Amino acid sequence: MSFFKSPSFRIAMTHLLSKKRQTIVAMLGVTFGIAIFIFQAGLMSGFQTMFIEQTVNTSANIRIYNDVQGERPSLLDRFHDDGKTWNVVRNQKPEVEDPKLKNGKQLMDIISRHPDVAGVSPFIGSQAIFKLGIAQISGRVSGVEIEKENAIFSVEKYMIEGDLRKLETTPNGIILGEGLAMKLGAKVGDNMFVVSPKGIGLDLKVVGIHKSGIVELDNSRAYINIRNAQKLLNVDGSYITDLNIKLKDINKAKPLSVYFQEKFGYTAQDWESANANIFSVFKIQNMVTYLIIASILIVSGFGIFNILMMIIYEKLPDIAILKATGFKDKDIRTIFLTESLVIGILGGLLGLAVGYALQQIVGHIKMDVRGFVAMEYLQFNSSPAFFVFAYMFGLLATALAGYIPARKASKVDAIDIIRSK
Amino acid sequence: MSAILETKNLDKFFRDPVDFQALKKVNIAVERGEFISIVGSSGSGKSTLLYVLSTLDTDYEGHIYLAGEDLSVKTKNELAEIRNEKIGFVFQFHYLLPEFTVLDNVMLPALKLGKYSDAEIRKRALEKLGMLGLVDQADKKASRLSGGQQQRVAIARALINDPDIIFGDEPTGNLDSKNAQLVFDIFRELKEKYNQTIMVVTHDMNLAAQTDRTIRLHDGEVVASELIV
Ligand SMILES: Nc1ncnc2c1ncn2[C@@H]1O[C@H](COP(=O)(O)OP(=O)(O)OP(=O)(O)O)[C@@H](O)[C@H]1O
Ligand SMILES: [Mg+2]
Repeated sequence: MSFFKSPSFRIAMTHLLSKKRQTIVAMLGVTFGIAIFIFQAGLMSGFQTMFIEQTVNTSANIRIYNDVQGERPSLLDRFHDDGKTWNVVRNQKPEVEDPKLKNGKQLMDIISRHPDVAGVSPFIGSQAIFKLGIAQISGRVSGVEIEKENAIFSVEKYMIEGDLRKLETTPNGIILGEGLAMKLGAKVGDNMFVVSPKGIGLDLKVVGIHKSGIVELDNSRAYINIRNAQKLLNVDGSYITDLNIKLKDINKAKPLSVYFQEKFGYTAQDWESANANIFSVFKIQNMVTYLIIASILIVSGFGIFNILMMIIYEKLPDIAILKATGFKDKDIRTIFLTESLVIGILGGLLGLAVGYALQQIVGHIKMDVRGFVAMEYLQFNSSPAFFVFAYMFGLLATALAGYIPARKASKVDAIDIIRSK
Repeated sequence: MSAILETKNLDKFFRDPVDFQALKKVNIAVERGEFISIVGSSGSGKSTLLYVLSTLDTDYEGHIYLAGEDLSVKTKNELAEIRNEKIGFVFQFHYLLPEFTVLDNVMLPALKLGKYSDAEIRKRALEKLGMLGLVDQADKKASRLSGGQQQRVAIARALINDPDIIFGDEPTGNLDSKNAQLVFDIFRELKEKYNQTIMVVTHDMNLAAQTDRTIRLHDGEVVASELIV
């Protein structure tokens, strides 16, 4: 006999139907909890996924550079360290002043031959001042070989104007970040002037506008040809400061970065460590969100708890006779757990629907958010797995809320009830 | 002929609020097909004895044998099964599930037992209702019936699994004398026609006089077990 035809199930349904209004209220509690879950956690998870995607697309899986800020023990420490005296050396000069990667081209060849590496792009970064007309803005130039850079960072995908190949084909092209271009009032075809900290200036022509979506980058960065960057810094043609590496499998970034660092003696940073701040913000964000959702579901749980306690109190005689006629404690428990699960299953399904609708509605409202990242529409996680997860979470909360009353009902002493009638 | 129900030195103590012995060395034996009444003044322990005998109360000392089986060694779940299959109850209050139909109420213990198919159970339930003159009420909600009818439905429910014994704790306590007599007539008939064993607590001496034997309790002791002739 299937469970749905069993007396226990029929009794459970009868109880719920005898309290339609309270049952619906308890159900809506679950609906609300799940809908908020789908909406809120979906928004966060969607946003984070998008952010990670953009980060992965716009930052190297591994970046190799020469860390000149590294602390080192002073000479004094080396020769006078008896543990009793404090050695104070102020304004110690860094050992390496120039962030140059020696033999950068060879390193690049070696790394690009590594089987896990999909591509390597050489890079020179420098502060710069951009001038156009009277506008004058400080930012950063990225000196790149644009084809290689494009292979790694899909620069082309994020071009909103102009042609990125012109960086290679014209001797003095520059691609501006969207925000930077706006601040300068620059359009494709405009001539502008860039000055490096070394005081060297170059006349450049805007050949494109680029929008990575990461606001901070777009407000300050410009791509120029690596040779022009070398000119700006007054260095020779072998000079590079960074190697940006793209891997075939992004999950190998951490171990490989450790490996490269040991092998080449330069700092190798994987994308996760590079964005560690943001990931820790995500962690806190997630914690807060899930705490809020958990508290909503706890409130929904109270709704269920409440209605079950009401039913149990009212149905004590029924419980007594069921027990007298041979229903076991666990049968009684099943009846009330079934009631809470029916509330949870139906309320939860409705919650999934409402949550999905909310996602769709809000997801179609043009927002033009410009914060951390720029996006036109809010991005939601609407993957089936996420919905299943939310549903399971809701059912778990329901089952927990139902368990205590169900247990209480199963422990009712039939004699106590029968004596008092 | 061996007893269907037998007790050996049954003691029952209540510890709360004060230590109190509600049953004292109760030794009784009930033959199959006997119709027995339990009488005694209020507080003499009649209900207590019935709950112990019917396995609802397991906190006692001594032994109870139902159809030769020692109930004092059974687990809670085993006792639930025994109650389901071998024991029928009729209380002062009918304890019908109010939202269910009369027929559903009668079928419930049989559905729980699961010995017969649903169709079979339905047929048997209608038979029992027929015996009690209630077939025309089968599809009504239990809460719609009169008190006398409800009590007869409760008897039909007690009969559904063909129990070894039916226990009644003042089954006529809420009924007028006409309906009370009707219920006792039914018990009488069950005993005569189907050899049903029945044990009923009552305050009504006229009704007790219609049973085969009366067990009289006084302060938890069986003071007389008189055969009625
Ligand atoms: N749960 C309990 N705790 C303590 N004492 C109890 C409890 N239940 C019953 N008693 C006591 O046991 C004694 C027997 O009670 P019982 O209900 O069996 O009497 P009874 O013969 O059925 O009386 P009545 O005719 O009034 O129904 C009484 O003195 C009663 O106070
Ligand atoms: Mg009593």
